[in-house]
Amino acid sequence: MDSVLELNQAVKDYGSRVIGPLSFSVGRGEVVGLLGPNGSGKSTSIRMALGLARPTTGEVRLMGMDPYRQHSRALVGVGYSPELPNLQTFMTPAELLTLVGRELSLKRSEIDAQTPKVLENVGLLAYRDYRIGKLSKGMVQRLSVAQAMMGSPSLLILDEPMIGIDPAGVVHFRSIFREFVSGGGTIIMSSHIMSEVENLCSSVAVVHSGKLVFRGGISDFIESSLNSRLILVEVRTPSPALVEKLRVIPGVRSVTATEGSLAITAEKGTDLRSEISSAVVAMDAGLLSIGYSRSEIDEAYVAAIRGSG
Amino acid sequence: MNLERVLAFARYEIRRATARKKVLVLVVVTILISTIPVVLIRSVGGSLLPPDDYPYLWVFGVFVVQGFFLPFTALLIAAGSMSEEYEQGTAEVLLSKPVTRDEYFAGKFLGGYALITGVIVLNAILSVTAATFTFGVQEALLVLPAVVLSQVYSALVFFSVAFMSGELVRRSSLSYIIASAVYFTSEVAGIVLRAIYGITGNAFYQQINVFLPTTPVTSLPLQVGLPGLPAGAKFILSFIGSGPTETSLTFSLGLIALYALAATLIARSYFNLADVAKRVA
Repeated sequence: MDSVLELNQAVKDYGSRVIGPLSFSVGRGEVVGLLGPNGSGKSTSIRMALGLARPTTGEVRLMGMDPYRQHSRALVGVGYSPELPNLQTFMTPAELLTLVGRELSLKRSEIDAQTPKVLENVGLLAYRDYRIGKLSKGMVQRLSVAQAMMGSPSLLILDEPMIGIDPAGVVHFRSIFREFVSGGGTIIMSSHIMSEVENLCSSVAVVHSGKLVFRGGISDFIESSLNSRLILVEVRTPSPALVEKLRVIPGVRSVTATEGSLAITAEKGTDLRSEISSAVVAMDAGLLSIGYSRSEIDEAYVAAIRGSG
Repeated sequence: MNLERVLAFARYEIRRATARKKVLVLVVVTILISTIPVVLIRSVGGSLLPPDDYPYLWVFGVFVVQGFFLPFTALLIAAGSMSEEYEQGTAEVLLSKPVTRDEYFAGKFLGGYALITGVIVLNAILSVTAATFTFGVQEALLVLPAVVLSQVYSALVFFSVAFMSGELVRRSSLSYIIASAVYFTSEVAGIVLRAIYGITGNAFYQQINVFLPTTPVTSLPLQVGLPGLPAGAKFILSFIGSGPTETSLTFSLGLIALYALAATLIARSYFNLADVAKRVA
């Protein structure tokens, strides 16, 4: 897999604090969640990737080029959506997208064709001539993503893209991003919303105190960070006998039964979902669903940060 | 450098600057200053001027505004040009696209400069119009284009200084204060040095005075305009305190170029070396 972004021992020395050395790469077609507490180095990584900040030492390559020295070539095909509210409040969405189109050297006809499409895609077509300063926080966030998608980029760098967006918008954005990735696009997404990262990303890069703590797949991240796995099972008729049967499965540490569901703590490095399913079916308890807890990524994140601190 | 992108940034800068209320207010004040006094002269003090001078009253608006309000407007437009983009985080968005820093810098500079050019041209047109409506047909207007051109060129000094301070300090209020301080210090120093020269007759003080940034800015339009103006117009200029200067036209042109070039080069070098500042929380 060829890399769209590579950080090689990149260090940013701010004097009072140092970010790095950071080394990781992002392959084409990946959806990478960039995780870390505030001030950990996520924004610095993004800014170095975009050529907005120059690494003090080390190297950053975007699309195989130095984004600082070869800015206008390295940034071709890259869309960036910053955190709120870095958009020109005095402009209208249509004017902003026209400006972006001109920055991308699009022809007038291309700008005219793309602007309504992009605005419709993010649900802002009706607001194309409103002043950005009059739009709600969520709408500005949508517009931020819209301007990043002008010119049909192949790489999207999104800084907290879901902040301020209503639940329907979140669902809509997920589908937009999935469609983008299915078309061959790559996404690097900084976020504090772990469930969103789990939902969208294929892998994560976790930074803490300026250092890379983890880089890899989400399940590997959870596996490596947590000492145990939490499996949630929904059954129609949970019985003490079922709980007892599950408790004796090798690798199961504990089973907690609540109304209609069972929380099973399994040892690290095991995948007991198949054994548990078989046991529930054998007891005729009416298996409704089985899966790892959605909160695992939150716990893994906290564990990883604590572990590295 | 892609010229279309430069022009796109220039248009954007004009749009951005005119969206700022304080810039609009200052432009309106500049326009009022160029028109209202002529109307007031007509209504209260028209008799103070000999009727033979009425055809030259346009010089009042053109030169009085040049002396103070145009440098001030140039400062206000330029001081926020780079710095406000950093403060609001919009520079990040604009520079995260495949553009060069040269294109962005040139576009911002040209856009702001085009705006101050527009203000100068508008001021001249309104001055002539106001004088025509109040005192009848104006004469010796052939010199006006050259005067306006010299005013546009003179505006480069404080426009560049404010543009530079905006880039260096990256805070609009601070850059405006710094650039204004340079302007006022130069003005006051000029007055003091001329006074000392007048008292002592020591040419050294006059030598320092001619190198101050305000000196060529004030002198150049007069050096360009005075040779083409009749005695009546010169009388009005002396009436408002604008007299000829001791330096040559070439000296003023050169000194303006020197100040503007130095400030622009410093700003450009810093912009090239420094990171794009993050939004101010």
